[in-house]
Amino acid sequence: MDVLTILGIGVVGVIVLILVGLYFSYYNRIRRYENQISEAWSQIDVQLKKRYDLVPNLVETVKGYAAHEKEIFEQVAAARTGMIQGTPQQRMDSSNMLTSGLRQLFAVAEAYPDLKANENFKLLQEQLQGIEDKIAYARQFYNTSVLTFNNLITTIPGAWFAGGRSKHEFLNIPEGERQVPKVQF
Amino acid sequence: MSQRTFIDEQRRNRRSSILLAVIISLFLLGLVTIITFFFVAPDAVIYVLPFSLVIIIIYTWSMYQYGDRLVLSSTKARPAEGDEFTYLNNVVEGLSIAAGVPPPKVYVIDNSDINAFAAGKDPQHASITVTTGALKTLSREELEGVVGHEMSHVRNHDVQFMTYIVAIVGIVSILSHIILLWAELSVMSGGGRRRGRNGGGGSIIFLVVGLILAIFAPLAVALIEFAISRRREFLADAGGAELTRYPEGLASALEKIMKTNQGGMKVDAAVSPLFISDPNKIGLSNLFATHPPLAERIKRLRQM
Repeated sequence: MDVLTILGIGVVGVIVLILVGLYFSYYNRIRRYENQISEAWSQIDVQLKKRYDLVPNLVETVKGYAAHEKEIFEQVAAARTGMIQGTPQQRMDSSNMLTSGLRQLFAVAEAYPDLKANENFKLLQEQLQGIEDKIAYARQFYNTSVLTFNNLITTIPGAWFAGGRSKHEFLNIPEGERQVPKVQF
Repeated sequence: MSQRTFIDEQRRNRRSSILLAVIISLFLLGLVTIITFFFVAPDAVIYVLPFSLVIIIIYTWSMYQYGDRLVLSSTKARPAEGDEFTYLNNVVEGLSIAAGVPPPKVYVIDNSDINAFAAGKDPQHASITVTTGALKTLSREELEGVVGHEMSHVRNHDVQFMTYIVAIVGIVSILSHIILLWAELSVMSGGGRRRGRNGGGGSIIFLVVGLILAIFAPLAVALIEFAISRRREFLADAGGAELTRYPEGLASALEKIMKTNQGGMKVDAAVSPLFISDPNKIGLSNLFATHPPLAERIKRLRQM
């Protein structure tokens, strides 16, 4: 074999290596980002479940002082059940509804000084507030993971290796849920 | 939003760590070889080289494994347990969720200065420490900004990276001191035991080169360390702002630090790069500063 042939084979070999390397790299990155989206959702799931467990305790404590606020209790109960079933977006919607319901409950507590001073109530309030912050952070991480993944499979050369995958959806807050509740006494 | 994601940044940091550690270790070995060759005897290289290699590996590995415990005990940090630290623990856990890392352990230091640092060899073994001064003086947004900055360090594997560098700079320093001392002693004892490589202008030149290396090596490596440290601080500021989505929180905290910190923390210079603001308040805004000037950091944050 002459030098030219060997050189030719070498060049082809290098090109093949590069292509294989590229394929491995994108294959892995796509799967890693997909995994991260699942991981991000499970973070949210954990917080939603913690909330699910804490809410009945809070409702009972408040009922001990303000049993007549039936509407709010019903809203909270409905939202609570909705939080652990359905699609991610549905569950987030229920979670937002629960946040709004809880805000109303805490606003109501302003009118009952004994309730406000109740140690159990204060503890639950702090815990639930903490969980809400964490849900916000977890949703942020989820949406960031979705963006990263979507960017990868919609740009070149990632799009070549996407294998029919489609973009994931972001978790949104519906416009209505963003309003601060007005409480009538 | 940055083009490069956190994930890519992390892996890049990890690769840079390894590469840098290898390069600096090789440089170190080169230094030791050259100087042994010319100051002791050519055949001594065979003994000195593996010996120093073993020492370097052991030292680096221990700093990597136990560096965080060292820092935590030397600063007298205690675990942040109990109701008074509920908010701090919630903030750390929340931001760790946003960063996609396991929640670091939380510690506090009793000191009126406002400061914080992150330690630990990787995100799975990380800790974040905050001073009680910070907890008392900072508002909620400011505290979140500071914790966000530290969380960014954890996520970027900065601690691992900086630990390598600090360990190796330390070794270069020690070795250079030993070598210079030896050179001084051998000159004083009348030019010693240079067997088989006597005389001639050639070996004098190598001698001088070796001496210059020994004097300037620690300086050069230290300057690189400081430059890297400053860059990492800017990166952590940006990363923290991205986590909290509120750069003003950290900017305002840094302003408070500028006004209140007395530099009374008495921290070993080797670990000061891990703090959010120079705990010894050396106040150098130049090549030797481990942190970029506070005014510059505040300006950049407010421009985000």
